[in-house]
Amino acid sequence: MRVLRKSLRDNRRGWIGWTLALSAIAAMYASFYPSINNPAMADALNSFPQSVKEAFHMQDYTKPENYFAVSVFGLLVPILVAVFAISAGVKAIAGDEEAGTLDLVQAHPVSRVSLALQRFLAIVVALVMIAAVMCLVVIALRGPGQFTALSPGRLFAICLQLALFGLLFAALAYGVGAWSGRRVYAIAAGAVVAVLGYLGDSFFTQIDSLRWMEKFSPFDWYLGGEPLKNGVQWGHAALLTGLAVLFVAAGTWRYNQRDIAV
Amino acid sequence: MADAPAIQTEALVKRYGRHGTTALKGLDLTITPGEVFGFLGPNGAGKSTTIRILLDLIRPTSGNVSVLGVDPRTSPDVRGKIGYLAGDFVASSRQTGRELLSYLGDLRGGVPAQRIDKLASAWDLDLTKRIGSLSKGNRQKLGVIQAFVHRPPLLILDEPTSGLDPFLQQQFVALVREAADNGQTVFMSSHVMSEVQQTCDRVGIIRSGSLVTVEHIDDLRKRALRKIEVHFDADAPALAVAGMSDVVVDGKVLRCKLSGDADALVKALAQHHVVDLISEEPELEELFFTYYAHEEA
Repeated sequence: MRVLRKSLRDNRRGWIGWTLALSAIAAMYASFYPSINNPAMADALNSFPQSVKEAFHMQDYTKPENYFAVSVFGLLVPILVAVFAISAGVKAIAGDEEAGTLDLVQAHPVSRVSLALQRFLAIVVALVMIAAVMCLVVIALRGPGQFTALSPGRLFAICLQLALFGLLFAALAYGVGAWSGRRVYAIAAGAVVAVLGYLGDSFFTQIDSLRWMEKFSPFDWYLGGEPLKNGVQWGHAALLTGLAVLFVAAGTWRYNQRDIAV
Repeated sequence: MADAPAIQTEALVKRYGRHGTTALKGLDLTITPGEVFGFLGPNGAGKSTTIRILLDLIRPTSGNVSVLGVDPRTSPDVRGKIGYLAGDFVASSRQTGRELLSYLGDLRGGVPAQRIDKLASAWDLDLTKRIGSLSKGNRQKLGVIQAFVHRPPLLILDEPTSGLDPFLQQQFVALVREAADNGQTVFMSSHVMSEVQQTCDRVGIIRSGSLVTVEHIDDLRKRALRKIEVHFDADAPALAVAGMSDVVVDGKVLRCKLSGDADALVKALAQHHVVDLISEEPELEELFFTYYAHEEA
């Protein structure tokens, strides 16, 4: 577990920074809720065309589960979580390899599989920390933010789905990077899935011929089952976790077979 | 296992990519425990490829490798007994030297901090500085320290002194000699002939992926030409002695090159009044050039 400890120590500043920033964004959105929750605002929102409302998942904002699904957990937070996960996943193997610094560590008595998995595990720890801190902050704001209608269990459910959503992107970027040793492939894979996934879950839902894409979007697996209303969506959770395991296993397997680039 | 070679490769082949270049074409190499072996050859001959296979950083296309009696592919633990230094030593730049050394020590199961400090002060390196702020020479010092600090039974050094100034190169030579005296095996690729001459027992020369020759450094030295300069008190006599070549007489001074035994020349000189006799250390470099140069042909 020495590699894990080292990864955590080397990245502590950056990862704590991400945790604080994401929690601050969530807290900021959450504390806007009282000003949204009034009839004038509801009328203004209702005057938007139906298609725009659907694209942005805008339903009755005065209900906290709707407001929170769109604002706090809907837009900026998952995109930033995906960015964090992709950048951490790319760095784990491919970034280190292209910098030429992987050689030295792999010339020491640690097996390839062990090194790679410990580095991925460090990212898992970071994602858990981010989701847990965010969850605690939002739960703590229930009283002052006047959204006690949202139970802590439901908030926990969405944070869990968020962590698994991040896990998928981390695993994808890690897996492609470990397989290929190339940063650019890993970044591209993560970015393409994030962008198509986002479009598939928002604007493409307005185009009948592209509506099917929603089912294949990680954003749908994260929010589509409305965990704030319905609790943890175990099917989606299993899908996110299963794909993540697949990407990690494939990347690690290939990393153990191939040459490390100079 | 005491008699097992420290390093052995049999018919080692490495091809990069499906249609790529063949870096090694059936390399056979045996390094006995306790020897200091110089691995020489022009750039691109396959030195680094061989070394990276020994450390299991890359995998051979075919052939067998054994390091300290085991296959490095299936026994990552053997790397605990190896000290490795690459010529362009790089480590992630945001950590300090001490952070890196204690991490690498941890991976090996612990290296006493005392020994790290001792080596760092011997090499005049500030371990509290971030690696990114170190000069290339100081980074290379850090590389030297991480390779030697745990006193591994086998040192694998890939052009270890590139980036070190002549003074530090000399200090490095002393470190390698000390390791050899401890019974550590050293496998070292190098371009610096003086360093090879001063440290190695045997040298192997690799060219285009196969081994051209392996010789004891003493044998090479015997065959190498040494430059002789003799000053007489009168005009230099005409001498004809076996092994002499390129004789130039310039007044009272005779210059020539001599291969092999010096005895015949000394006996011939004894009949004259010799004011001064200068014999230069044989330059292996010239001998290596003859091996290196074949590649162009």
